Amino acid sequence: MIPRFSAIGAVAAALVLAMVSAGSLVALEAPNEALQARQAPQKFVPPRTADGQPDLQGIWRVWNLARYDVEPHPASYGVPAGLGVIVDPPDGRIPYKPWALERKKENFAKSRITFPYDPLKNADPLAKCYIPGVPRITYLGWPFEIVQSKDFVAIVYEWMHIRRMIPLTNRAVPEGIDFWGGLSRGRWDGNSLVVKVTNLSDWTWFDMAGNFHSNAAQVEERYTLSTPDTIDYEVTITDPDVFRRPWKMRMAIQRQRDARLLEYECHELLGQSGVPPTWERDWDKPLVIPKE
Amino acid sequence: MGSEERVSQKSKGKGQKGRLRGRPVAMTVVLALGWLVSIDARQESQFAVGRDLAKESAAAHKLAEERTPIPRMANGKPNLSGSWRLSGGGATYSWEEHLGGFGIASEGPTLIIDPADGKLPYQPWALEERERRRRPESAYEENVAKCILPGMPRMMVYNFFIAQSSDRVTIFHGTHPATRIIRFDNRPPLPDNIRLWMGDPRGRWDGDTLVVETTNLNGKGWANLGGDIISDAAHIVERFRMINASTMWWEATVTDPKVYTRPWTMRFPAPHVKLGTQPEENELDFEDSCHEGNVDLKHLKNLYDAAQGSRQ
Repeated sequence: MIPRFSAIGAVAAALVLAMVSAGSLVALEAPNEALQARQAPQKFVPPRTADGQPDLQGIWRVWNLARYDVEPHPASYGVPAGLGVIVDPPDGRIPYKPWALERKKENFAKSRITFPYDPLKNADPLAKCYIPGVPRITYLGWPFEIVQSKDFVAIVYEWMHIRRMIPLTNRAVPEGIDFWGGLSRGRWDGNSLVVKVTNLSDWTWFDMAGNFHSNAAQVEERYTLSTPDTIDYEVTITDPDVFRRPWKMRMAIQRQRDARLLEYECHELLGQSGVPPTWERDWDKPLVIPKE
Repeated sequence: MGSEERVSQKSKGKGQKGRLRGRPVAMTVVLALGWLVSIDARQESQFAVGRDLAKESAAAHKLAEERTPIPRMANGKPNLSGSWRLSGGGATYSWEEHLGGFGIASEGPTLIIDPADGKLPYQPWALEERERRRRPESAYEENVAKCILPGMPRMMVYNFFIAQSSDRVTIFHGTHPATRIIRFDNRPPLPDNIRLWMGDPRGRWDGDTLVVETTNLNGKGWANLGGDIISDAAHIVERFRMINASTMWWEATVTDPKVYTRPWTMRFPAPHVKLGTQPEENELDFEDSCHEGNVDLKHLKNLYDAAQGSRQ
């Protein structure tokens, strides 16, 4: 049992219970999404939009355990054990540089949920409802909808009504400006939508386990319809400041035929749970990259 | 409206200065703090150039006289796709006629075309509530100050981009970005207990007019910085009607029997103007990190808490 419920602690307990029940559901449904995606038939011919592009439109959701930890991990309170979603390197682990691995371990320690729970003491940016960034927003577990037009693909996420406008027009990106979600530029490569994400910041993580990147990170996503209701999602992370080599995650994104995109105003709900969004903002302390 | 919009832009994440007009000296402390905080360059640039509402309105009306054909979809319906900019109205503080001044900075004409007197037909209790909301200590209650969605129809006082296909119209709203994906499929309404800031929009065509009906609003949002009221009983009917290739009338009729004595209709003084066919024309390719940078909210909360304390 949890001793001495504070108001925040009670709310956190409810939150964790919700996570536990949601997590067990996920565990049943997704033993190894990465493996399933790998075995999916590649010959599927996707339907086309009126503009002749592969039609990815609809409401989608990722049902796996990547949001807890993208690497293989044992169970902890509220977190189901998982095999991870990293397909390269073959050991399924993020190829951190030694200093960065230490940093990851610190992040992990500072983001454990302990009672009484105080989200303001949790180092995970998501605990304060900050923008999760790319690719974390994809596998956060909330639904999102893809809307296509000739010159762009829009991804509209239920989580905090975030959206990404992904131009297909080779639109230039400004240099030296960081965004929480980076800037996305897309192109079609056969039947795959390839999105290059640059201008990322060092304010976002990959998951709840403290896996992180710097603002030198570049992300390349590939969205390929592999069945009428499945997108094969591959994402390659390159960040020479933090990783020894590029690495790749892979998972299935599943169509939600009966779902509707609703609203999740995270910080409003956090406020209702007793934490009004008036705290001192401290996310912009720059990540210090040691000289090699 | 330019400067009023600018106040709203700055206040996003920096404290709601728009509502603090003409208030005592203590308010200037909050204001001063707000001014010292660096401003999101993008948001500033959108509204930095002062708009001449009369000139803008005249230009839009002139454009609406051109005899250019309305673009159409393969199914014959008007194609509303493109970047749209509103014209001639300053609407972030109030939808009724109002003067500019300290914290509001720009006058605005009324957007209320029915009733004819340009005033919202409030029930007495609701008018009192609006006055209460205009006190400085109430500012903390307002949703956009907390970077929460503006809601409907408030979201329509910002520019937007439309992407249309045969089975839906998607409206990508600017400034406090949300996206409305409006279908024509006669889907069942949402359950009554699901209440949303943006509501549940459903589309249909009335001849060449796109009609969007919105219900399931949560009634929590303020309709503008001046505290106008939309309750959870509100039913909104929007009409989008293209005049020619580059102009469109938008109007909304609100029926809200909890708050008003009769339905009322709002419309900008001039038609919306189409800027082009790319979302970038409305600066839609940047994210909104309002909550992340919301460093001034604590000042509004201090005022709110102090007022609560003095009442006890």
